[in-house]
Amino acid sequence: MAVVSAFLVSGSPLPMLKPENPAWAGLAAGYAKAQAALVASRPDVLLVYSTQWIAVLDELWQVRAHSVGVHVDENWYEFGDLPFDIRADVKLAEACVAGCASVGVSAKPVDYEDFPIDTGTIVADTLLNPGRVPLVIAANNVYHDFAITERLAGMAVSTSAAQGKRVAVVAVGGLSGAYFDHSIDVAEDHVRHAADDAANRAFLETLTKGADAARAAVGDYAKATKADFGMKHLAWVLGATGGFSGAEVHAYGATYGAGAAVVEFRL
Amino acid sequence: MAQGKIVAGFIAPHPPHLVYAENPPQNEPRSEGGWEQLRWAYERARKSLDELKPDVLLVHSPHWQTLVGHHFLGVEKLSGKSVDPIFPNLFRYKFDMTVDVELAEACCAEARAAGLEARMMRNPGFRVDYGTITTLHMIRPQWDIPVVGISANNSPYFLTLDEGVDEMVTLGEATRRGIEASGKRAVLLCSNTFSHWHFHEEPTLPEDMTKEHPQSYVGYKWDMRIIELLRRGEVDEVMRLFPHWVEEAFAEVKSGAFPWMLSAMGFPKSPAELHGYGTVIGTGNAVMEWNLEKAGA
Repeated sequence: MAVVSAFLVSGSPLPMLKPENPAWAGLAAGYAKAQAALVASRPDVLLVYSTQWIAVLDELWQVRAHSVGVHVDENWYEFGDLPFDIRADVKLAEACVAGCASVGVSAKPVDYEDFPIDTGTIVADTLLNPGRVPLVIAANNVYHDFAITERLAGMAVSTSAAQGKRVAVVAVGGLSGAYFDHSIDVAEDHVRHAADDAANRAFLETLTKGADAARAAVGDYAKATKADFGMKHLAWVLGATGGFSGAEVHAYGATYGAGAAVVEFRL
Repeated sequence: MAQGKIVAGFIAPHPPHLVYAENPPQNEPRSEGGWEQLRWAYERARKSLDELKPDVLLVHSPHWQTLVGHHFLGVEKLSGKSVDPIFPNLFRYKFDMTVDVELAEACCAEARAAGLEARMMRNPGFRVDYGTITTLHMIRPQWDIPVVGISANNSPYFLTLDEGVDEMVTLGEATRRGIEASGKRAVLLCSNTFSHWHFHEEPTLPEDMTKEHPQSYVGYKWDMRIIELLRRGEVDEVMRLFPHWVEEAFAEVKSGAFPWMLSAMGFPKSPAELHGYGTVIGTGNAVMEWNLEKAGA
């Protein structure tokens, strides 16, 4: 089994930049639990899909061996900068580019100095990956639906297995999509709509029941809550794991009104 | 101090392909050319802008999308390398811009006074989005005129379209008041493509123009209809059609720059001048100008 652990985490930088904020401390603590689980699974590579790396032409894969710099988020710049130091598993990423043809997807490698690694990937790598395990990062092509995203993840895991690698699956994205549209006291941050809050909690409970339940519920949930990119990051988990038996929700909270969670899946 | 005024507004779309095709020294990748009709359109727009002698350029870009309110660049000097996350093979551009922070603050304050959520971006490490940079390069490659950069609040996407347009109209009115109080001659730039249906795969040689044509005939027809209406000065009819245009042409104007600019200019009834039209990966792009001085507005 190539997949040794799998996670769905929020890509918001807020819990990372201000973990002392009471409203975000729970998410930061949840990330710490997920980090411990990921480290314990001893992966050779993190297979990362972030809803915040947008592509519109082809499926893009990061193949630059070493990306280092300081990122400033376009929304949350006032809360601080995001330094990053990311190593890629170039051999595996290039194999994934080649493997996309097998699932009917056109793909391209990305290898450019100063390429703007997205906030979600940076947050996940920083908070989950203290050992600087190499990453394979796939873009969120906005025209790829849930099914294509599953197939891409499955292909990436098969490709990893062919290279004999232990894989941690990391899906980066949010839950309900409604942010506050005005300034708030961040200490009082909460999910903006009560209906979204209830739907988020119910959906997380569904995840604990396994992949079949999650698959049955995700469409209606995503539509009702305007969830982050239709929960395509969950498709990444489903496709990569081939199904999970349950999940542990390490944290649930809000990031300026939008739903966020840290979830570890049982394989 | 004389009252400031908006001397012109341009629809100035931002496909990075245009910068790539031009091969300016700031951009790393080299091309064989391509998209000449649009680049010639910008040549005409550049000449017109030069004659207008503005003190400041204001640009509203859909690629700085903000969740909480309308944001304004608030750092006087911003520089760095902007690598387009979608077209990194085409656009790796070293930018160095001067921001008119005083005017940005005035417009931001007016927006707040009008009831909008608005804020100043003060982080000096901020990476300016490629939409802002491409539009500014294409209209004024000398980079010798201070700019005001305005984000695209996501209200047209998360609220109803009408509510989002209302926000942009209010932002436009606030922008106009800020400009008038400044005493400056301002040019507005609407960084938007029209029809946004596009191909999903890139040709091996991106500038191979044998591969370039409208992706959608429906989108193309909308582009022509809108251009013709604007050339006749029928801006009210364009705004009446706006929701249908956005829906059927998947028009990027949904992001707000178009109603923002028209509102700031008072929805001018003078004919807009078409400098040129062309497609980029199938999307429809028009470079158009309202010269309010010539029109006597």
